[in-house]
Amino acid sequence: MILVDGLHKRFGRVEAVYGMSFAVGDGEIFGLLGPNGAGKTTTVRMLAGLIAPTDGSATVNGHSLGEGSQRIRGLSGILTESPGLHDKLTARQNLAYYGRLYGLRGAPLAAAVERYLGVVGMSEHADRRVSGFSKGMRQKIAIARALLHEPEVIYLDEPTSGLDPSAAKTVRDFVATLRELGRSIVVCTHNLDEAERLCDRIGIMRGTLLRVDTPAALRRHGRAATVRVELNGARGPSSFLDGLASLPFVQGAQPRDTAMLVELADPALETPDLVAHLVAAGARITGVREEAATLEEVYLELVGEAGERDRPTSAASDPATEEAP
Amino acid sequence: MRPGYVAAVFVKEWRDIVSNRLLLGAVIFPALVFAAIPTGLVAFIQVNDLDPQQLGTIRDYLNDFPNVPEKLAAQGFIITNFMAYFLLIPAMVPMAIATQSVIGEKVARSLEPQLATPLEVSELLTGKTLAAALPAITATWLVYVGYGLINGAIADPRLTRFVFSDVWLVAMGTLVPLICLFSVLLGIVVSSRVNDPRTAQQIGGFVVIPIIAVAVAQFFGGEPTFTLTQVWIGNLLVAALIGVALAIGSWAFDRETILTRLG
Repeated sequence: MILVDGLHKRFGRVEAVYGMSFAVGDGEIFGLLGPNGAGKTTTVRMLAGLIAPTDGSATVNGHSLGEGSQRIRGLSGILTESPGLHDKLTARQNLAYYGRLYGLRGAPLAAAVERYLGVVGMSEHADRRVSGFSKGMRQKIAIARALLHEPEVIYLDEPTSGLDPSAAKTVRDFVATLRELGRSIVVCTHNLDEAERLCDRIGIMRGTLLRVDTPAALRRHGRAATVRVELNGARGPSSFLDGLASLPFVQGAQPRDTAMLVELADPALETPDLVAHLVAAGARITGVREEAATLEEVYLELVGEAGERDRPTSAASDPATEEAP
Repeated sequence: MRPGYVAAVFVKEWRDIVSNRLLLGAVIFPALVFAAIPTGLVAFIQVNDLDPQQLGTIRDYLNDFPNVPEKLAAQGFIITNFMAYFLLIPAMVPMAIATQSVIGEKVARSLEPQLATPLEVSELLTGKTLAAALPAITATWLVYVGYGLINGAIADPRLTRFVFSDVWLVAMGTLVPLICLFSVLLGIVVSSRVNDPRTAQQIGGFVVIPIIAVAVAQFFGGEPTFTLTQVWIGNLLVAALIGVALAIGSWAFDRETILTRLG
């Protein structure tokens, strides 16, 4: 469980992160979406006990940032933006080294290394030096390294970067199994499709959190959902509008060519009633689907608005905030 | 500081060094060169008669080897005079290893994942320092012992006593590890500011200048080797420099500084 309250990080005169408050529950995957320099990496570094916040507080599984940072580092697994492997060592030696740094020794260490080499499909390359590895192979070893010590909290920065579609799916599936095991997972990504598929909730940030919600709710962006009903027959869509106005759950309706767009508060619950009413009224329905903005549209709108507003100090002007502050 | 964590870093660094042939060459080659030149000269004198005219230029120094034949005194002068250059091994080698280690980690961006573990910065630096210093100390001591034994064997056993004098035993036991430590710390501090190992080694290279200056000064000052007092003064000076380097290093290697500046 991660609880963040008013987290703030300043580098010199630059406000890299400010006013960050959110929570990530056990068994939840929380996505942090934002442009370069938005403060995602800085936020993760603070929560992983790597750097100290300037202000605010956070607890990770009950340990507070600051005095509990070493314990937090011990119970956290982090996939950094760059794999950061030791080129002269083999894959197995890399993992064994990090296993020791996380306190594993002897048989449990060897077992963990073997297990995670297998999980990421790298067992047959275990004794090769990583200097000869492709970007995707390095990423797999870095993922294994982050999970080796069975961390309770996991931070993944661009987890499928450099992976082919098959390997990316394997990683996504594995992350989903970690959720089933009750781990709290924070994923930083630019990949909106991945965020939507993987995350239970998404926080869009630019220096601070602009909005936090489920992917479906984000797509609606605070508006009523719109259901598009395609019609076929002699009667045009306008002829059904008066009847729809009598339904209490319909918030608005308008014709569009051979279809009608109907605004509903809860499409999953109300669409069957809408369809039943229209069929009873004589409509010949050929298709029904929910129309919502894409996550990309919502993201660009939110980030664009935030970019136009003044921040305490422009983070973009300082190279220290470029994803590696 | 937890020994298990320091040992983990040390073993990793050691594997890195052993797998880097260029770096291994940088450890072994200077040590062999510094030993081979005077040994060659001693062997040359052993198989050839001394030219009295050449001997004249070093006659003043030979007075420091009383009650021995001129030929042996000349050999003694050569082997003891060159020993000052042995101090260059602990000055040069650990710096090469330390700069390679730190800058290699900067380029590979491998410092962050290590600092994300429960490892403390002091444990990381201690492991790195030991891994960089031990090869140089070992190489210096091995070459020193071999130098004394080989010269005694090919020329005169009394040469071995000149090499294993009280002064040089103290210098090898104290000054060599101190110079190593200073060299590593300087290498680490310099490496934190630049991204190219060669640049770091060139900047850090000033550490060898005082040693060469001392070696040259002792020659022109009419001394074939150091005195015990000079060795202890040298120890104090290097210890003071280590204190300065530690103060700078503790600032340069704060966890946050490493992440924000070194990556």
